[in-house]
Amino acid sequence: MIFFIMTATLALIWTAISGSFSLANLLLGAIIGLIAMWVIRERVSHPGLSKRLLKIVSLALLFLYELLISSIRVAILVLSPRLDKRLQPGIIAFPLTAKSDEEITLLANLITLTPGTLSVDVSEDRKFIYVHAIAVPDREALIADIANGFERKIIEVFE
Amino acid sequence: MSPEQFLDFAIAVALGLLSLAMLLVTWRIMRGPSLPDRILALDMLVNIGIGYIVIVAIKTGFMLYLDIAISLGLIGFLATIAFARFVLQRWRIRTTNHSQPNNPEGEG
Amino acid sequence: MTALMSYIAGVLVLIGAVFTLIAAIGILRLPDLYTRMHAASKAGTLGAGLLMVSLAFYAFDASVVLRAMAGVLFLLLTAPVSAHLLARAAYTAGYKPAEITSINELDPKAKSND
Repeated sequence: MIFFIMTATLALIWTAISGSFSLANLLLGAIIGLIAMWVIRERVSHPGLSKRLLKIVSLALLFLYELLISSIRVAILVLSPRLDKRLQPGIIAFPLTAKSDEEITLLANLITLTPGTLSVDVSEDRKFIYVHAIAVPDREALIADIANGFERKIIEVFE
Repeated sequence: MSPEQFLDFAIAVALGLLSLAMLLVTWRIMRGPSLPDRILALDMLVNIGIGYIVIVAIKTGFMLYLDIAISLGLIGFLATIAFARFVLQRWRIRTTNHSQPNNPEGEG
Repeated sequence: MTALMSYIAGVLVLIGAVFTLIAAIGILRLPDLYTRMHAASKAGTLGAGLLMVSLAFYAFDASVVLRAMAGVLFLLLTAPVSAHLLARAAYTAGYKPAEITSINELDPKAKSND
């Protein structure tokens, strides 16, 4: 099912980008979409992808919202006249619950684009991800914030 | 204000702001003080360049500029990755050649 | 309809340019590499992304909108990767964070206490 939805979407995108909605062009797009889907068939035939789609969308929306908030916070911080007083940078170790490579990669990327945090390194044993934060008034609160926000959502998407 | 006038006004102001941003980032590139600072500022300069190209696309109505902006983004991304690997490699070569404590402050 | 789109595009152009300028100011004012990276990777990405979205609103044509969306997606995917890579390389190569950094659990001395 998901296979045909994806192929149809790819065909539509093809016609939109190439700029003509003729039937021949749509067919060409469908053929190319089929080939592309055939190449990645093992990834897509994974069951439950359509169920996860909703969660992926919700993760994406959360992410866009957090990106906006974080940019505004950085803006306020940068434009405040007494910068040194408000800065409290620190590097903290965040204990990972996520295990697989994909989850850790996604989490690291999302951490970088969210309020006041930037992932710097992952420990060798993959138990900790080192996060640089622009203001650390409370270490535990920051860790709880990441664990309850993004990490839980990412684990929901991947399980 | 008619929509066209407003858009023209917005474009003029935005070009001014981006030029100011470019000056500030260039100042950071010149001052350093370290190599990663300059790399970061160069990365930012690419972002500003993308902004410029997109605004010019709106100003001229020539949509091909969007593809140019996307390819500039790709080149900037690859350049930053190459620079980051260069920083690592340089450190590795230094630490293997002279086994003295590494102190890169204020150079580069 | 096109008038409304022009207004939206104009407002987005202004917001995007302001965020880009803020990122540049941040790069100039913040004290060390790691804090500067916050400004560049967040405000800078959002600035360039908003400008691309404004182009999509201005043209309001399927091919341009899709390409702009692809461009924004690409920016959002690449910005954290390059920031993370640069931060890791700089830290490994011994560029220390600024003095005012309160906690540093990546420091070997702090790590041994865990």
